[in-house]
Amino acid sequence: MPKVDMDMSSGTIAAWHADEGAEVKAGDPLFDIETDKAAMEVESPASGRLHNILAGIGTEVAIGKPVAWIYAPGEAVGPPPESDDGGNTALPANDATAAVAVTPAPAAADHVARTADRQGKARATPRARRLARDHALDLSGIAGSGPRGRIAAADVEAQALETRTGGTVAHRPLTWQAEAGPLKVHRSGTGDGAPLFMIHGFAGDSATWQPVEPHLPAGHPVLKLDLPGHGKSPRRQIDSFRRLARSVVEAFDLEDIDQAHLVGHSLGAALALALADVRARRIASLTLIAPAGLGPEVDGAILTGIARASRRESLAPWLAQLTGGAQPPDEGFARAAMLARRDPALRAYQIDLADTLFPDSVQSFDLNPVLSRLEIPAKIIWGRSDRVFPWRQALRAPGRVALHLLQDIGHMPQSEAPEDIAALLSDMLRITDRSHAPV
Amino acid sequence: MNVQAPTLEPAVRELSYAEAIRDALAVALETDDRVILMGEDIGIYGGAFQVTGDLVQRFGEDRVMDTPISELGGAGVAVGAALTGLRPIYEFQFSDFATLAMDQIVNQAAKLRFMLGGTVSVPLVMRFPAGSGTGAAAQHSQSLEAWFGHVPGLKVAQAATPHDAKGLLLAALDDPNPVMLFEHKLLYKMKGPVPEGHYTVPIGKANVCRPGRDVTIVATSIMVQRALAAAETLAGEDIEAEVIDLRTIRPMDRATVIESVARTSRLVVVYEGTTTLGIGAEVSAAIAESEAFDYLDAPIIRLGGAEVPIPYNPELEKAAVPQVPDILDAVRNLVRGVT
Repeated sequence: MPKVDMDMSSGTIAAWHADEGAEVKAGDPLFDIETDKAAMEVESPASGRLHNILAGIGTEVAIGKPVAWIYAPGEAVGPPPESDDGGNTALPANDATAAVAVTPAPAAADHVARTADRQGKARATPRARRLARDHALDLSGIAGSGPRGRIAAADVEAQALETRTGGTVAHRPLTWQAEAGPLKVHRSGTGDGAPLFMIHGFAGDSATWQPVEPHLPAGHPVLKLDLPGHGKSPRRQIDSFRRLARSVVEAFDLEDIDQAHLVGHSLGAALALALADVRARRIASLTLIAPAGLGPEVDGAILTGIARASRRESLAPWLAQLTGGAQPPDEGFARAAMLARRDPALRAYQIDLADTLFPDSVQSFDLNPVLSRLEIPAKIIWGRSDRVFPWRQALRAPGRVALHLLQDIGHMPQSEAPEDIAALLSDMLRITDRSHAPV
Repeated sequence: MNVQAPTLEPAVRELSYAEAIRDALAVALETDDRVILMGEDIGIYGGAFQVTGDLVQRFGEDRVMDTPISELGGAGVAVGAALTGLRPIYEFQFSDFATLAMDQIVNQAAKLRFMLGGTVSVPLVMRFPAGSGTGAAAQHSQSLEAWFGHVPGLKVAQAATPHDAKGLLLAALDDPNPVMLFEHKLLYKMKGPVPEGHYTVPIGKANVCRPGRDVTIVATSIMVQRALAAAETLAGEDIEAEVIDLRTIRPMDRATVIESVARTSRLVVVYEGTTTLGIGAEVSAAIAESEAFDYLDAPIIRLGGAEVPIPYNPELEKAAVPQVPDILDAVRNLVRGVT
């Protein structure tokens, strides 16, 4: 039972993708597990034949415990091998410690014991083991990048960095260099209508809008901004929300747009609001999706967890937190987030940005005054199952602002309910176009 | 680690490895009356590899003695001479022929000091032209140094440069116990700076020939030169290899290797002798038993000779021992996490 989630001590088998006796290949989906937070597909760690499935569907298994055995070609298939704790693979009730220590198998039961030993123990270099001890990390929760999944020192270091999500650790080995240059604006769509100017959220990029775009009404060009240190935009030095907002205003000004429909998601929504405040005459409408800046509360663990995650396995549980259901957000967002994760400098940049904007898991900027003095048509769209910002923050909005609260939707309405979001945007375009027409 | 010339810098010339050994022999013959040279064809012929050269003309047949074609007999006389106060230096034509003299070396020279309660010592130096690459086939191309390294009472050194060839030989002469010096035949023509006069390179001290951060390559004899060539190429790929010339395989300088591996976290051992039960096993064990174990971040790689007698076919002969591309491949795979 691998550890796929930081707080996980056990997982429940949700499905098997291979039957007893089936041939499995390393990397093939082997089984699905459910934790309190996430559902995950687990890949086969080796090639061979699957036997002795110990944990059936619905069985709860402590991390590090065997769920089944993969036999090498030609290897004799015996009875289910004894595991280290005497065969108790299911998690004993109220025994949290059972998940922690894996004691060496007794040498007596020769090949069976040896297999158990190998299957139960993480494959790691001595240096990685030493580092894991120093960081008090459990090797079974670390994905190895070496041959046959061997955990090397670098893997432990990456995990150690991820684990420090509380912002209490001053040590930060990752660094980034400040860059200059204009922010990247991606263009798509044509037409004479007023363009949409779209601003993605923290740790996303222009791909955030992919699910919605096909459903948008024709005739409006779409401009999608990449925030500093996100997507293809340079890593600008950002020391405050105000500074970040200024960089967005600059990017908007460079586009020289007469009238734009502003759309923002999360942090991007807060920035859209700030932009609308200073460029009110050039904004036709404002649509805020799960906006930041309307209340102090934020789930900092999710934000920093996403920013710090350096590989798919550690990112997945956090991404799962973004949506209302158990399904992770769409591929576009996951891919963009993963691309960012692969570049350590970008990761470092976003970690720093999260610290700047959300110190101690508090939203450091309050845009309620901006919202109350806003005169242009505005909508707020919020998922009632948003775990990053509580939707009740929307209730502070003035009466003029339309409020759309979506049932069973989390922090990613544009990917969880793209057609609904597109429909709401179409409404906004139609209403505001009409408002400009002679009566 | 690296032993530099003494404070008063003597003149340094470019000499070949063979000339450096001859120079050391001449210095020894000049400065110590007890020193005698023994071996087959080392007199008028000048030695099978022309190491002794003109020494018989300079020091006479009493001190540069041709011995009959009997390694066991010659070695026995040398052991006796050492026991009775001389400082014999015995040359084997090929290290392979040492198998004929094993009783004198292993059962006599190595043990007499212990068996006679320390009342005697055997200040004997033996020189062994060793290694493959000359097309001399299975009985004239072996690297048997690890055999001798297995015997308590013997010291075994392998110089990788002309400088060390002279310095190790003079250090061996200063040692009251039998010292076996293995010289790679392909190194005899290698040129390098060699100081004039008397200097020593201590037995039992390794030499860090090239510092590096990514991987430690421990090598002996000609493999030091191949490791250095590989390290130069690797530097162009942003892989900094640290190259350690072990210089002495018994006693082995474990501390230098341990310190290095604890820094680089990776170890490749390169040696020409048969891989199994060889120098690589000993160096690997030294790391596995030391505090450097905790710092290993990849498996240890041994690059040694193939498990075959050295073939006569030149291509097969090359393939039977580590070459520069083998070292490059091993290090690249190790550093890039493929191995």
